Amino acid sequence: MNIILIAMVIALLIPIYTAWHDEGIWQKMLALASISIKASIMILVISVLRDDWMLGVAGVISLSVGNASLMLLAHIMKRLREQQL
Amino acid sequence: MIDWLSYSFLGAGIFLWFWGTFPLLGNRSVLFKLHGLSVSDTLGSMSVVVGLLLKIPGEWPLLLLAILSLAIWNTMLGYVLAYCSSRGRSDE
Amino acid sequence: MNDLYLPVIVALLPLVACMLVAQRNPYHALVIRGVLGAVATLVYALLGAADVALTEALVGTMLAITLYAIAVRSSLVLHLGVLKDESSGIEHFQERLKDIFSQWHLRLELTLYSDASELHQALIHKEVHLTCIRSKSTENERQVYHARTRISRIYDILRKELSGPEVTVTRVTVPTSGKKPS
Repeated sequence: MNIILIAMVIALLIPIYTAWHDEGIWQKMLALASISIKASIMILVISVLRDDWMLGVAGVISLSVGNASLMLLAHIMKRLREQQL
Repeated sequence: MIDWLSYSFLGAGIFLWFWGTFPLLGNRSVLFKLHGLSVSDTLGSMSVVVGLLLKIPGEWPLLLLAILSLAIWNTMLGYVLAYCSSRGRSDE
Repeated sequence: MNDLYLPVIVALLPLVACMLVAQRNPYHALVIRGVLGAVATLVYALLGAADVALTEALVGTMLAITLYAIAVRSSLVLHLGVLKDESSGIEHFQERLKDIFSQWHLRLELTLYSDASELHQALIHKEVHLTCIRSKSTENERQVYHARTRISRIYDILRKELSGPEVTVTRVTVPTSGKKPS
């Protein structure tokens, strides 16, 4: 399980690098989507690893809230761009 | 036996994550990256959760909820991101 | 409990925080704030605080980003005052201003006034940041734009970016003992 979590951290580092390095706002949004899904799945893995129900609930809620907030943010960004241009 | 099956599911999920995330580093268009990322992230995460489900069946309601929310929300998020980013581009 | 992954994941948090501080574009910083929220949720859950992780996911990631997006949009705005009958002929100059201030992530917003004294009063009373008046030059028939501002930073930017015979930039000093303090 240790190796699996380390591999997940490496997979998490790639979109973090992209979010830091890439210029376009939509590339950053993509990286953010990837990071939020991966972090939630990692919380789920940890909850199973420790056999902890509370962590599992937190992971599932953050998974669904992260997705919802991303959609909200994407729509706000789109509206801002339309008014700006 | 079940242990091996769960580990292979976990490994397959992490492999899918890497496979979908590496195109982010290239210079392709946003929609191409979005396609690869949404498919591989959803399938990889579902595979990881199935692996966890095989490992500890006691938490099945939580993990089932995770799979369902992944399947529904992630497809919707893919559509929303594609719609917003393509509309934002045509305005520029 | 000698978990190897614990310090690796905790080290992600200061990494992302440094990335957030290094961002210049406010909208990019918002996205990185989302990344920071996700990583912070992960770290809190890893250290066993499920309630803190839940709060971070709900408030820090969802509410704060949405509110900040609206706050950034409504605060990064430059109010440009123009005369009502000149507003159609000024579009070329307005495009140039928009190009200049988009480097600084500022948005341009137009306010129309009916005559020149009202425009000047608006500038004095801090309703607009920048006013623009068009006039014909006498010796050659070219358009001349007079831009007036009361903010020294905008004056510096305009002096640096708008160099040419067709534009004059002046700075108006506002008396501080007016009716409206600051």
